Amino acid sequence: MSTVYPYPTLAGRVDITVRQAGIDGKALPFSLISPREQVVALHLAGRDDWEEATLELEVGLPNDELADGPWASVACVAVLTEGATNSRTVARLERRRDDTRWRGEIRLRRSMYVARAVLQVSVVGSYDGIDGRVIGTGDVPWVVDLLARTAVRQRDIEIVEEDFRDGPQEWLRPFKEAPWLVETSGELPTVLLNTSFEGLGALLNGARGPLEKAAAGLVATQIAGDAWTAMFHSAVGDLEVDDDGAPQVPDGWKEPVLRAMLPDVFPGLPLADALAEIHSRRTEGHGWAELQSRIQFAASRRAQAPKNLTTALRAVSRPQEGAAR
Amino acid sequence: MNRSGADVPDRLALLPSAVASKYLTNAVRSGHERLPQVAILRAAGSIEDGSARWSTGPLKEILDEAMSRFADARTEADAWLAPRLHATLRMTRAEAARPELWNFLALAVAPDYVLWRHLATGEAKDGTAKKVNTPRFAGPQDSQAFARLWWAAEMFRDGPDYRPVEVACGNQDMLNTVLRLDTIDHKPTALAMVRVLEGMVRSGATRLGDRVNALCTAVNSAGSTLLYDVLAPDELPDQEALFAWIDDAEGAPPVPWDRLPDGPEDGTARRASVDRLTLMFQELADGAPLRDRSRKRAADSA
Repeated sequence: MSTVYPYPTLAGRVDITVRQAGIDGKALPFSLISPREQVVALHLAGRDDWEEATLELEVGLPNDELADGPWASVACVAVLTEGATNSRTVARLERRRDDTRWRGEIRLRRSMYVARAVLQVSVVGSYDGIDGRVIGTGDVPWVVDLLARTAVRQRDIEIVEEDFRDGPQEWLRPFKEAPWLVETSGELPTVLLNTSFEGLGALLNGARGPLEKAAAGLVATQIAGDAWTAMFHSAVGDLEVDDDGAPQVPDGWKEPVLRAMLPDVFPGLPLADALAEIHSRRTEGHGWAELQSRIQFAASRRAQAPKNLTTALRAVSRPQEGAAR
Repeated sequence: MNRSGADVPDRLALLPSAVASKYLTNAVRSGHERLPQVAILRAAGSIEDGSARWSTGPLKEILDEAMSRFADARTEADAWLAPRLHATLRMTRAEAARPELWNFLALAVAPDYVLWRHLATGEAKDGTAKKVNTPRFAGPQDSQAFARLWWAAEMFRDGPDYRPVEVACGNQDMLNTVLRLDTIDHKPTALAMVRVLEGMVRSGATRLGDRVNALCTAVNSAGSTLLYDVLAPDELPDQEALFAWIDDAEGAPPVPWDRLPDGPEDGTARRASVDRLTLMFQELADGAPLRDRSRKRAADSA
């Protein structure tokens, strides 16, 4: 819990487990629930007509601390939220007398959620005569992904293959000679790979032998570098400021991008200060040009440029044994 | 701005944001040039379901009426249009979360409305023409000209009752500040804030804008340590009723102009919950410090 609370809060762990999930009454395969990554993937291939998903939850609280603590009428609630739809669903969890865990279920309605919902647990109690105080929250919230086919948390970048030249997307025509484009205005940043660019798809998807693999690695590095740079600029481009003019940490994919890159752009500055610094440099223009090399450095680090380039250089300098086809 | 109307497409479609921003040049945003309608229509993807709710006719009708009704006071159009837009463009939250839909409405169907509502009059200080900010055409849901109204209606309606929407949208500070806050995702919180606002308006409070901002800040920061959902429990909306209302769009007459339309009967917020939060927020509002304007004024005159 990062907020400062003017009353005692729980020191112990609050851990959340999704025991089971179902879609319209049918159980979801366990492979789509990842306890390690804390992700549930709700996209089922060939099934787009579902209405409601149910998540069965189990929460472990520091029960001894709760029993001995100064709080009254303690309750444990699961809260499902999503920024894009402003949706919020709350469910109370219960603990049976002979049980150590709190259990309950929360329902996710398809009509209310669109892409990625966040599932958090709050422990609430009365203290000093005031009800409903938050005394603890889950250490790591779960992600419920409505679009993913696999339960993976890191979906920083979506990769979509499109035919820029003859495909259905008119706006891509002028870019028909570009091997790829990075698009950051949507829900998730997307890399559009141009399938009319001969050989690109084959190289990225089916590289064989050390030389081809090295080349594929280099191209992937290049794409990733472009993507990180574009994501950084668009995340910095629409920072919102609060009443005091301090920029706010954005939500969605922009948050992890800034958290990952700002330490490389402004080494040693805490996140809030780095945000304020980059916002003022961008809006006021001073020192913006000087910053570009740091942004480029941060992006190439995220794209693992040094590692991939070294691998490629070694592969090229090695005698061409297995590469002949 | 003199669009003939003949080239307005019959049905809504989805326009990618990357395409939209490409066409939002300074000349377009200052009303000096028209958008390239043919290119925009070609870049848009169609909406698969053939339901009547995606027709543009009824939308154009209320937009035109808003422009003639509020010709002298265009900010007042928000409170009139928000419920009528919501009741005309019937959809689920998941459907409304597509920025492509709002892009299309602003760029292909009603760019004239966006310019009318959001173009400041007069000239900018440096002598260049004033222009509408890009996010009013294609931007986040709390800024985009139509998305902000639809979402305000969705967040502040009490089941079928759009009256709280009128109150919330009748105050620009409320509309601009509160839509950005996650706290109003809890319906009793949103409705209680409207009731407090209503009380301020009724009592003729001075510095209403500052008071509204102070209220929003206080409710939001109290919400970081209090879970309103537990203090003021509420039911999930009735999904079937919402679907039925959306299906009714096929045969529903156009929305009334002089009285409020009816929203979906998907359940009203629990009275006791709204009452409890109203009392709490009233106390917060009474105790909240107003923004100190004296310092700023001193700085401005220096």
